[in-house]
Amino acid sequence: MKKHKRQNSFIALCVAPATLLFFIFMVYPTIDVFRMSFFERGAYSPTENYVGLQNFGVLIKDTRFIVACQNTIFLIVAVTIVTFALALFFAACLTREKVRGNSIFRVVFYIPNILSVVVISGVFSAIYDTKNGLLNSLLSIFSGKAVSVLWKSEELVVISIAIAMVWQAIGYYMVMYMASMSAVPESLYESAGLDGADKLTQFFNITLPLIWTNIRTTLTFFIISTINMAFLFVKAMTSGGPNGASEVVLSFMYGQKDAGLYGYSMAAGVVIFLFSFALSALVNKATEREVLQY
Amino acid sequence: MLKRILSLIISALLITGLFAGCGEKEQMDKKLKVAALSSGYEETMPGMWQEICDAFEKATGIKTELTLEKNLEDVIGASMQGGDYPDVVLLATGREAGLTEQLIKDKNLTELTDVLDMTIPGENVKVKDKLSGGFTESVATNPYGDGKTYLMPMFYSPCGLFYNKGLFKEKGWEVPETWDEMWALGEKAKAENIALFTYPTTGYFDSFFFSLMYAVGGPEFFDKVTNYEKGVWETEEGKTFIDIVTKLASYTNKKTPSQANDQDFSKNQLMVMQNEALFMPNGTWVVGEMADAVAADGFEWGMTALPAVAAGGDSYAYTWMEQIWVPKGAKNQKDAKTFISYMYSDEAAGIFAKRNAVQPIKDVSKLLSEDNKLFYSVYENGAKAAIGNFAAYKSVAGLGNPADYFFAPINSLVSGNITKEQYVNDIIKATDKMRENLINK
Repeated sequence: MKKHKRQNSFIALCVAPATLLFFIFMVYPTIDVFRMSFFERGAYSPTENYVGLQNFGVLIKDTRFIVACQNTIFLIVAVTIVTFALALFFAACLTREKVRGNSIFRVVFYIPNILSVVVISGVFSAIYDTKNGLLNSLLSIFSGKAVSVLWKSEELVVISIAIAMVWQAIGYYMVMYMASMSAVPESLYESAGLDGADKLTQFFNITLPLIWTNIRTTLTFFIISTINMAFLFVKAMTSGGPNGASEVVLSFMYGQKDAGLYGYSMAAGVVIFLFSFALSALVNKATEREVLQY
Repeated sequence: MLKRILSLIISALLITGLFAGCGEKEQMDKKLKVAALSSGYEETMPGMWQEICDAFEKATGIKTELTLEKNLEDVIGASMQGGDYPDVVLLATGREAGLTEQLIKDKNLTELTDVLDMTIPGENVKVKDKLSGGFTESVATNPYGDGKTYLMPMFYSPCGLFYNKGLFKEKGWEVPETWDEMWALGEKAKAENIALFTYPTTGYFDSFFFSLMYAVGGPEFFDKVTNYEKGVWETEEGKTFIDIVTKLASYTNKKTPSQANDQDFSKNQLMVMQNEALFMPNGTWVVGEMADAVAADGFEWGMTALPAVAAGGDSYAYTWMEQIWVPKGAKNQKDAKTFISYMYSDEAAGIFAKRNAVQPIKDVSKLLSEDNKLFYSVYENGAKAAIGNFAAYKSVAGLGNPADYFFAPINSLVSGNITKEQYVNDIIKATDKMRENLINK
């Protein structure tokens, strides 16, 4: 009995530092974000006025915030679907097929993930260049006339950011899917092959169901990381321009802080927090399946 | 027993460590904490601010501790939120993070009017007698319009329209003196596939707009616009102003908006150097910034003031100026003021001038390099100096900065996504709110 008690207190002692740090640096600031969203104050002024829900009332009517929300949702949906599809496709190719230079491809796909966003934005600044850019030059070759698409113009800027984000994310998710795909027993494919199932049927009926748990986890990753990464990409590639066309919710929030509206910026933070929480829960619920054993 | 001794030793060590930390902190408090933005001047020839601090210590015996960062807001901002303030800060208004503006809005700056009457260390001159005229009379230094100075002027640089002198010589074009000549030139250039205008980012329109306000309606119109006066956009001057801006947008290189961001702005600057556009608003720093870029044959920098509205009218060149200030929370305010007064000494101005940073003091032209003399002579060639800024108003949720309404939509004007009417209506709606929240009504 005594030994048990001592063990418990030892465990408590061991987890105490981490718990303490978690509360100081995660829980307390999060609660403080909610508290501050009811106040109006500058970032550097010690005085704050209680304004109740006024910040939220203004926020839902702020056209800049609405544009930022639209862009964020577009990026979450588009980047997730495209990355997801491509990563699965490449992962299946590299694990199931005997591709020459298999490991080289794996490295090549993974490289963008270790590059810093600033480097990526530099790379894409060259790719999207109107006059000598890679993309416009390629299009010019195929169309036979000089093409000068303005990739960072108001109409195309969000798509251009999405392309860069997909390019950056594919490698990471591909490696994750490859890990779980290689754990699927070879015998399943063999017997399916004997039954006359083609590669596509095998993929949808064997591979996909068996790595489903992994896919569910990565979907939550997608949502959270897209919200975060979108901010970094926008900050580095376009600074939210032209005329706010590529603003996303986090860059909106950041900009409000610079405009001296700390409370307002926190209100935006609360909305983002609740939104990403709800979306993750929703996705988690919608993708619930019976876990298959093999 | 051994354990107990060991733990005693450890705790003793920890405690002394704590106190050692305190001692250090106390000593740091005695030093004058100087925070300065590491801008182009410092980057081209590092060591400028260290040299200044060393010279200041020699002249006054006051020790300094220098914080020098490119992203100064991120570095001092965090500690300021924690209540730890630098004593003296060189950081101009008009930067993206807007730290200086926020302190102005919250009235968190120390009044510096008495610095004007201080004697410059090592010289027998008062600061106000050494400063060039007009530098401490605008909102840029007296943000509340009550004649009290809260920010002191530092490095100044004339801003205007930059162009390729070589191209004008080659084509036999004249630099336009009125806007009508400007549009005529625009047509001529269009025939040669050259756009009349470009801009690095819309942020560069500040100098352009202020000069244009002066050119259109003199100081009265400037005051009306920067104080968000009601009905100003229905006046004749207001309409002329908007007409010029929208017409210029239609003459702007179509590629400009997609490159008008912090990543690609130099591509827009390159347009002028490679004869894809004739003019861009900029400051003298652009010469150093683009020194390594490949320009068209025969390229040579030229700078002109903004054209006059009518023949014989006044032309203006905006004076861009940085500011030095003391936060209210600074502990060492007396020494901070001494430090600021030292900024106007011949010694300090000489150190700055080596990097082409020009102080607003009398006889500074003697210290200028040949290149710079050319730019700074714009005022001697008939252009008037435009100085000032938008008046400060209380931050209101949902209401952005003047730049969001005046400058940023120009990107959309150029690409044709908004009309002139939408542009003006948004300005009128926003300025109505700004006027209601003016700090000094």
